[in-house]
Amino acid sequence: MQAIGLSMILGAPLIASVALLLLRGRSRRYAGWIAALVALFSLSSTFALLPALYSGEVPALQLPWIPTVGIQFELRLDWLALPFLVTEGAVTLVAVVYSWGYHHVDARTHLYYALLMLFALGMAGTTLADSMFLFYVFWELMLVASCVLIAVWGEGERRGAIALKYFLFTHFGSLLVLVSLITLYVAAGTDSFAALRTGVSLAPALANTVIVLFLVGFCVKMAVFPLHLWLPDAHTVAPMSVTIMLAAAMLSMGAYGILRFPLSAFTPSQMAPFAVPMMVGGLISEVYGAAMALAEQDVKRIIAYSSVSQMGYVLFGLGSLTREGIIGATLHVIYHAIVKALLFMCVGVVIRATGRRSISEVGGLRRAMPLAAVYTGVGALAIAGVPPLGVFDSEWMIFAGGFRSGHLWLGALVVLGSLLTVAYALWFWGRLFFGEHPERLEIRAVPLAMVVPTVVLAFLALIEGLFPGPLFAWAQQGLALLLGGTW
Amino acid sequence: MSGELLLGLPLAILAGGAVVAYLIARLLKASGEVLAVFVALVLALAVVPLVAIRVEPASRSDWVLLSVGSVLLLGDPGALVVGSIALGLGSIVSLYSGRYIADRDRVKLYYPLLVLLVAGLLGMVMAGDLFSLYLFCELMSISAYALVAFRREQGTAIEAGFKYLIVGSLGTALLLFGISFVYRAGGSLLLVSGPADLADRTWARAGMACMWVGLGVKSALVPLHTWLPDAHGRAPSSVSAMLSGIVVPSAFYVLLKTGVGLGFRAEDLGLLLIGLSLLNMTLGNLMALVQTDVKRLLAYSTVAQVGYVMFAVGVGLRYAAPDAIQAGFYLLLAHAAMKGLAFMCTGVSPSAADVTSWRGTAQRLPLVAAALAISLGGLAGVPPSAGFVGKWLILIRSLRQTDLLAVLATLLFLVNGLVSLGYYLPLIGAAFARPAGPAIETRVRPSAWIGLPLVGLGGLVLAIGIHPAPWLEWMSDVGPALLTWGALR
Repeated sequence: MQAIGLSMILGAPLIASVALLLLRGRSRRYAGWIAALVALFSLSSTFALLPALYSGEVPALQLPWIPTVGIQFELRLDWLALPFLVTEGAVTLVAVVYSWGYHHVDARTHLYYALLMLFALGMAGTTLADSMFLFYVFWELMLVASCVLIAVWGEGERRGAIALKYFLFTHFGSLLVLVSLITLYVAAGTDSFAALRTGVSLAPALANTVIVLFLVGFCVKMAVFPLHLWLPDAHTVAPMSVTIMLAAAMLSMGAYGILRFPLSAFTPSQMAPFAVPMMVGGLISEVYGAAMALAEQDVKRIIAYSSVSQMGYVLFGLGSLTREGIIGATLHVIYHAIVKALLFMCVGVVIRATGRRSISEVGGLRRAMPLAAVYTGVGALAIAGVPPLGVFDSEWMIFAGGFRSGHLWLGALVVLGSLLTVAYALWFWGRLFFGEHPERLEIRAVPLAMVVPTVVLAFLALIEGLFPGPLFAWAQQGLALLLGGTW
Repeated sequence: MSGELLLGLPLAILAGGAVVAYLIARLLKASGEVLAVFVALVLALAVVPLVAIRVEPASRSDWVLLSVGSVLLLGDPGALVVGSIALGLGSIVSLYSGRYIADRDRVKLYYPLLVLLVAGLLGMVMAGDLFSLYLFCELMSISAYALVAFRREQGTAIEAGFKYLIVGSLGTALLLFGISFVYRAGGSLLLVSGPADLADRTWARAGMACMWVGLGVKSALVPLHTWLPDAHGRAPSSVSAMLSGIVVPSAFYVLLKTGVGLGFRAEDLGLLLIGLSLLNMTLGNLMALVQTDVKRLLAYSTVAQVGYVMFAVGVGLRYAAPDAIQAGFYLLLAHAAMKGLAFMCTGVSPSAADVTSWRGTAQRLPLVAAALAISLGGLAGVPPSAGFVGKWLILIRSLRQTDLLAVLATLLFLVNGLVSLGYYLPLIGAAFARPAGPAIETRVRPSAWIGLPLVGLGGLVLAIGIHPAPWLEWMSDVGPALLTWGALR
């Protein structure tokens, strides 16, 4: 039964994308509906497995694949994967619904939704995979699907070059991950993650190399400074729904990778030397991303750089190697997904309404778009970490992790750095909706399909901040799988 | 049926097939399509005995030896695998040629030549002694020269064929030279038995060096690859598919077979192959990166891909890892299918030469664009393609070795994979770009004759990648055979 549930999560988007490709042009009128239903189904399948998880079971599925080299098709849903899986599922659903309004139906619409489904499949597969080969296959599927989406439906003439840059850059990170994966495979003698759970014994120098390669590889995906160079361009050029999936869900795959490999396969003493580098990396990224967001003019790039900054918080929390820090980082992934999706949707609404992308050409929109002012405000305040919105909880935990780690000065710096986040968030909101309304700025109507999911997310940002209990419990459960489980 | 019969049958079928094909073309004035189907059937039929040999338990003592006159054939596992791949690809290419080779007057020459090319290749990889090897190598080479220059009305085709002829003849001459040295050293030409210390004799070493340079020309070892981009770039696409897909890799297998067959130490051969492979992949990828002509780009990609295969086999020989050799042969199979598919795609547009003129292919010819994406994605090693599985399997083996050479070589192997994306992706991108370029207008609309082989080979590429188990199983004996060959002597 659980195996069926697991295969549903992955099978639904796979079947949907194949069906959309086969139906070709005939399906373009209802391709969006199919994709949304499938995303909803996939998400519900995840929730359907929750009771099993609560009762202490671990849904898993094993099939032989390439027996000669011991490669198996293994899926497994544990507490570490759950928060990420739910986040991806929810973001996909929201992004698909948003596409109804954002994406103009044309001859290739079926292809667009099929690729969105493949992108979602890649992300869900990455989180569910329980063997290394399979993990990497899904990991790259995620990249291929998103790259095609950018190359074909991107905005602007340079989309081809930017897609190539995105592919090469993140593929470089993937290669580092690949080398580490195979080194673990060789050391453990098995493809299955079961070996990671029991611990892998490597020579100290080799273990350090593997950890470094994993961290650098996953930091490319997380777009942590200075490995973020692909992100601003890719996020700016991608169609908005794809940007939402990239920023809100795919970036956090890097955090998942760090949790799944270095943090669960190695012991606290093996990881200890990397704590300070990770925290410093997170801190620099936090400050750099926020500073760049302050300096940018393009509304989409502002929010894109905000991702660099936010992933800095996540890396800092993970690097603290403390209970609080890791819970905080996991929560931050979820909260950031909601808030980042919300902010990009707001940007999309503003661009659609005004037709302009430079923040200096827009202003005083609160009279013409009072509702947008409210939900953008919620997003801006949330990302600034204002209580009781969700991000406040996770940042609190991350800061606590920083102080608990024994590096007080790093903790203090990251708290101070968050001031920059407040600055760009409020300035962004203020410049868009307050101040002078430029003359000759026409406001056009925005499709309901773009507004409704945005409003829903704004409510979600409020609610999860007020009732964070279940999410804390999820993140806490995952801890038992990390660093030998002794906390 | 006895093993000897099974081993001889494919060559007999091909020899008969070539004659019959010529006769029905000449006497019955059969059209190109009829000949294509006939030759495809002949080649497919010839695979059956080869695969049947594999069914028997394969330990070294069971290798089949067949002696016909002065020709000695040896059914070693590697030869059976490479030979079967050649027959399979040849069969698909033949079908594809049905409409592609539209020259009514000269199809009567094209198909016999194609059969002879495959026959020469098959005999060459199955050769049990150096004499037969030389004989079949010449048969293959001469058919190949003629096929490269087949479109003689184009000046560039003649030029490419002539260049190939000159360089290739130099190669075969050196091969013959080397063979005479080896004979001088040991008094025997056999690849399965002979003096045990042959490899230590000076004449044998000199002969071996000559033979490797000669075969190195055929297998495009850098820096002996210079003829390849011209020949593969200007031959008809169906011929390029054969040359790049299987002729070059099969020459590499023969190179390997002479090395182990004459009793050279596997570790030394492995070291040499790793060194050469790094040259091949690096130069191949860098040169492909700067190409604008699609077929030349694919030709350089072959140089690089042969380098990957050599790397895997080299690692296997150097570190006595039969599964690395298996991985190399898996990549050889995958490459044959993927590169064959890629060249068949280029054949649909005789007018389009450079990458930018591929713009809009997806709009006009969705099937061709899809096939191109499948094959190039596979060559680039994007999961879950066969190319990726091959690279993964190679990495599993090479990362197990901890000495500096293996680590550095593996690093270079990975960097090469990244570099190669720089030319595969823009080509895929161009095929799916809009709006279409002007050159697209002149393209032929593919009929079922073109479409079916594309679909079939594309499906095969996907099948090899998604379900690699049976293919790997099929070539599981190759590694142990090559590693323990010396014990036969």
